[in-house]
Amino acid sequence: MGVTEMGGSLPVNEVTTAEAAFEVEEEQRSLEMERRLARRRRFLQRVQQQGLGLVLIIVVCIMWASSPYFMNRYNLLTAASVVSILGIMAVTETLLVIAAEIDISIGGVMALVSVVVGLLVGHGLNIWLAAAIGMVVAALVGAINGIITVFFKINSLVTTLGTFSIATGLAYVLSGTTTVPIVGHGFGFLGSGNIFSIPSTVYFFVAIWLVGAFIARFTTLGRHIYATGDNIDAADRSGIRPNKIRIGLFVFNSLAAGFAGLVVTSELVSSAPQIGDPYLLAVVTAVILGGSSLTGGRGRLSGTLLAVAILGVVQNGFALLEFSSYLQNLVTGCLLILAVLVDQFVRRAEQ
Amino acid sequence: MSNATPLLEARNISKAYGNVTALTGIDFRLDAGEIVGLVGDNGAGKSTLVKTLCGAHQPTSGQLLIEGHEVTFSSPKESRERGIEVVYQDLALANELSVAENIFLGREMKRSGLLGRLGTMDRKAMHASAVATLHSLAIEIKSVDARCGMMSGGQRQAVAVARAIMWGSKVLLLDEPTAALAVAESDKIAGLVSGVKDKGVGVILVSHNLPQVHELCDRVVVLLRGRVVTELRRGEYNVDDMVSWITGTALHKK
Repeated sequence: MGVTEMGGSLPVNEVTTAEAAFEVEEEQRSLEMERRLARRRRFLQRVQQQGLGLVLIIVVCIMWASSPYFMNRYNLLTAASVVSILGIMAVTETLLVIAAEIDISIGGVMALVSVVVGLLVGHGLNIWLAAAIGMVVAALVGAINGIITVFFKINSLVTTLGTFSIATGLAYVLSGTTTVPIVGHGFGFLGSGNIFSIPSTVYFFVAIWLVGAFIARFTTLGRHIYATGDNIDAADRSGIRPNKIRIGLFVFNSLAAGFAGLVVTSELVSSAPQIGDPYLLAVVTAVILGGSSLTGGRGRLSGTLLAVAILGVVQNGFALLEFSSYLQNLVTGCLLILAVLVDQFVRRAEQ
Repeated sequence: MSNATPLLEARNISKAYGNVTALTGIDFRLDAGEIVGLVGDNGAGKSTLVKTLCGAHQPTSGQLLIEGHEVTFSSPKESRERGIEVVYQDLALANELSVAENIFLGREMKRSGLLGRLGTMDRKAMHASAVATLHSLAIEIKSVDARCGMMSGGQRQAVAVARAIMWGSKVLLLDEPTAALAVAESDKIAGLVSGVKDKGVGVILVSHNLPQVHELCDRVVVLLRGRVVTELRRGEYNVDDMVSWITGTALHKK
C-alpha cells in the first residue's frame, strides 16, 4: 500500500521537467498503441459485418452457376417463402440472445400449437378461435421459460431444453402421432396465400423484422435489452427492470414460434407433431451466424437478416441440385463455426 | 463543520446480522461540499455502513436523515431518488454501450411527438448533453461514442462519476474508486472528486489508499470493529496517525 514510504501528503506539483517529458512520451506511445488496436478492431468488425454479405453473394453465385432453375422468379419466391418461417422466429430469438438468453424450445412450441389447433378443430371449434387458443398456449410456454429462468436462476439453455421435451412429448401424446386435416375459413392464407404474387410468409417475416429492428435500434426498450445482456447488474442498478425484459422476450419468442406453427399447419393443411423438427437448430444457427453473441449485449438484426438469406439460398440450392439434406447440414455447420471463430477474433482484438 | 443542517446524517446506527454485530452506535454526518473519508481495516464495518447509507441494507436501529428529514430506504433505488448516488467498485457500466449510452442508461431522453411515444430515443440530445457534462467536469474522453469496454480503468471511473453527478446527486458515495487504477489515473480521479466538491456535492470516499484519503478529505472517519473510533480533521494528523487508529494501536496509547 506504500503507507510507510509516503509518510504524509505528497507534494503534487514538484514534477521535474525530465519526468514530465517522460510522461508525455509514455502517453504518446500508449496513444499510438491504442490507435493501432482500434484500427485492427475496426477491420475485424468490418469483416464480421460485411463478411456475411460476401458469403451471401458467393453462395448466390455458386447456385446460379450450378443450377439453371435457381435465378428464376418463382424459385426465388419459393425459397423466400420457405425461409421466412425460420426468419420469423430468428427475429425474436436474436433479441433474446442479445439479452444473453436462448430459447431452444421453439420447435416443441410449433408442434404443440399445431396439435392443439388440430385437436380443437377436430372437436368442431372454429379454426381462428382454435388458432387464438394455440397462441395462448405458446405464450404460456414462453412465460414458463421466462419465469423458471429468471426467478430460479436456471440457465435458459437448460430450461428451454426441458420445455422443448415437454412440449414435443405433449404434442405426440395429444395427437397420438396422427395428423389432422385442417381446411377452410381462409386459414390457408397464413401459409400459402399471396399478395401481388409474393407469398404471405414473406410479408410476415418482413413485418416482424422491421418491428424488431426498429425496437433494437431506435427505442429505449432496445437499449435496455442490450444493457440487460451486457451487464445485468448495471442494468438493474440503473432502474431498468431486466427480469421483466427477459420474461417478456421469452413470451414474444414463444409467440413467434406459435405463429410459425400456425403458418406451417396452414401450409401443410394439417396439424402434425413433427412440424417443428427442421426448425430446431436452424433458428439458433441463423442468429449466431448473423453475429449475435451468446454471451449477450451484442448482435444485430441486419446480421440475422443476411444469415436467414444465406440459409435460404443454401437450402433451396441444395434441393435444386438434389443434394442430400445431410450435406446441407454439413455446410451450415461449417458456416456457423466460421462465424463463431470470427466473433472470437474480434473479441480477442478488443482485449 | 458548519452548524447548518447536514446533508446526510446517521444517528446511532446499529446493524446486526443474527448474533453478529456489524455496526454499533454509528454517528455520521456529511455536509454539502465536503469530502469525508471512511477508512478502516477489512471487516471494520465500512461496507456495511455504505450499504446501510445507500439502502442496500436496513439498519437494525438508529436514524437516517437527509437535509434534516428522517428517511428509510428499502432499496438503493429509493436512496437514489433522494439524491444519494453510489459509484460501485465494479462501476456498473455496460461495456458494449458507449459513454453517452451509459450515462443515460435507464434514463434515456425520448423524442417529442408520436415517435417519442413509441419509445424512440433522442440520440442527438443525449449525445450533446453527455458532451456538456463531461466538459463541465473537465473529463477528457476522446468521444462520447466510444464504447466503455474499450476504455482505461480511470476513464471508466470518470464516466461512472460523471453519470452520478449528471443526475443531480447531492451525495456521492465512492467505493474504492482508485483501487484498480494506475497512479496517473488515480490522480485524475482525485482531481475530479475535488471538482465535484466545488459543485456543492457531499462526497463519501471509501478507500484503502490512505495518502490519497489524507490529501483529499476534509474529515476522515475511522471505523474499528463496527464503531467510529475517531474523526480526524484536515491538517491535524498525518498518515501514520491514521494507520495507528485503523489498527487500533492509537487506542492503547491513550
